[in-house]
Amino acid sequence: MSSGAQSGDAEPPAEPVDDARNFDPDDGVLVADGLTKRFGGLTAVDDLSFAVEEQEILGFIGPNGAGKSTTFNCITGRYPPTDGTVYYRGEDVTGLPAYEMVGKGLARTFQEFRPFEDRTILANVQTALVPDELFSTSGLRGETRAEAIKLCERVGLGDEMHRMPDELPHAGMLRLELARAMATDPDMMLIDEPFAGLAEGEIGQISSLLTELREEGTTLVVVDHNMRGLLELIDRAIVINFGELLAEGTPEEIRENPDVQEAYLGSE
Amino acid sequence: MSGQTQSDLKSWGDILNPVEMQRHQQVGLLGIVALFVLPLVIPAIYAIYLSSALFFATFVMSWDFVSGYTGEISFGHGLFFGVGGYTSGMLNLHMGIDPWIAAPIGAVAAGIAGLLIGFPSLRVQGPYFSLITLVTPIILISVFRFFPDLTGGELGLVSVGTVEKFSAIGPIPSPGFDPYSGYYLALFVFLLALVIFVAITRSDAGMVLTAIRADEISVAATGKNPAKFKLFAFVLSGLVGGLAGAMYGHSVGGFNVSELLALIISIEVIVAAILGGIGTITGAAIGGLFFYLLRVFMRNIEFTIPVVNVPVGEIYFLLFGIVTLGFLFYLPEGIVPRLVGEWRARSEPQAGEAVADGGKSRGERIVEEWTDDLRELFGGERR
Repeated sequence: MSSGAQSGDAEPPAEPVDDARNFDPDDGVLVADGLTKRFGGLTAVDDLSFAVEEQEILGFIGPNGAGKSTTFNCITGRYPPTDGTVYYRGEDVTGLPAYEMVGKGLARTFQEFRPFEDRTILANVQTALVPDELFSTSGLRGETRAEAIKLCERVGLGDEMHRMPDELPHAGMLRLELARAMATDPDMMLIDEPFAGLAEGEIGQISSLLTELREEGTTLVVVDHNMRGLLELIDRAIVINFGELLAEGTPEEIRENPDVQEAYLGSE
Repeated sequence: MSGQTQSDLKSWGDILNPVEMQRHQQVGLLGIVALFVLPLVIPAIYAIYLSSALFFATFVMSWDFVSGYTGEISFGHGLFFGVGGYTSGMLNLHMGIDPWIAAPIGAVAAGIAGLLIGFPSLRVQGPYFSLITLVTPIILISVFRFFPDLTGGELGLVSVGTVEKFSAIGPIPSPGFDPYSGYYLALFVFLLALVIFVAITRSDAGMVLTAIRADEISVAATGKNPAKFKLFAFVLSGLVGGLAGAMYGHSVGGFNVSELLALIISIEVIVAAILGGIGTITGAAIGGLFFYLLRVFMRNIEFTIPVVNVPVGEIYFLLFGIVTLGFLFYLPEGIVPRLVGEWRARSEPQAGEAVADGGKSRGERIVEEWTDDLRELFGGERR
């Protein structure tokens, strides 16, 4: 995926989708309305609106640098958006700090992996299970440990849970990120680039784990710049480029969409 | 109720039952019992030394609770001892408030100081924050100089008037005049701090505090408010440090800059924590006692070094510094983690919970992260 090919494109095609996209707070579990994020003179996310439906797996696709992670960070409270509103379950949650978003049921993983390097995999998951309370003793009595073991086994880290994070292969780190997000008991998970750097078999395993989670009622947003493995997993996709919405639809529609092909697939 | 399977929940009885504890925990309990019976066999002068050592160890624990756990290194923990001690001392001296009432007020004042110091730690990176903590007690000392009538300036409250010692309670003699009574007061404060800090750090909060040190953003991403936990650590550290400062002043010690507020106190507290083992509380307690008593011991050696013809007692601080350096160099993880590690290795070579062997100790990690922050501030790359 060369960035040179992207920068060759001048403007994104004139009217990819209708401009008059206005979303009500109740249009989905998670609604972003006119989300904008500027860093100095750079507009990373430009008036982006979309809604995530209950219990779907939404693909959030775009080339490198399209503003996917920035959109994510604005929604999950890493930093506040410059403009626009985020609704979660009908409630205005714009600019809420990360820990409050997690408290409301919205968990995320990190593309760059951010484990607690000083403790084992199991302890990482245990730490994630600990509630946001100053005086809590569930860990002392072994409750969180038992639960953490279950989670480690569920994501496929059962044999490695006593290892340190830096001993894990790439796919293992991703599993740890998932286990840690799952530990917060989310209704909705934003998963950042799960398939980057994974082998075919591993993509299949992660996909079936995500499908399982969806069947249990979790809504999933999966971000990736690469469509490999993703289009089979998702129900619906949103494609962004240059921080703006480019296309939206079923995997087939996205695959057929000429704008997407030009701005994105065309560069392959 | 097999207690063998991993998923079984432990009851409070299991956790607190000494028979079920690990070897090092049992040794620790024996040590506490020994501290209780020690006054029966030692002369009064040693009881005074030991009381001061217990207060100092409490200071060290209060530092370890915040810096050893959250990784926010405080270079000026003397601030809390000073605010607690001076508040209590001045309330008694100028307003005649009974020391038994003034001391808890001093502790609360130090807790508020902890809150105020805690706020910058939410925004400022490691070394910058350390600088702030370094400067605040120095500012306070300068303020004290401006009001010598109130504070006695550099000389301490003794230059203004006589601060009352704790009064006797019924048959128990005053801790300020009876060395053994003073010893048990010190032991009470020491054990109170130990129990509070051990309970909190071994509960879930301890896991969150160390996680903050490792990655604050990840702590937030798992639904916990790092600011809340950090401020809590600072307030509690201030409360306990301040209480110890006040209790010390009204019993075996005094209200002087050099005993509570001076930079050297803050530095000694850090060194003692490193000696004992950072981020363990028990290490800080043992390191504090060891550090203080080693210094007293060296000061009292009546031996003249042959060639240079200097008595050890005169240059004890130099020798003491060298001994400390030796410890830091050869035992960077600290006394307690080393001993516990050796015990574990011997008694249960194939322990189920793999310790990160070959990994770094807490102290080394803290220093590494701190220097990483420093390097970044100066425009370098993180390792």
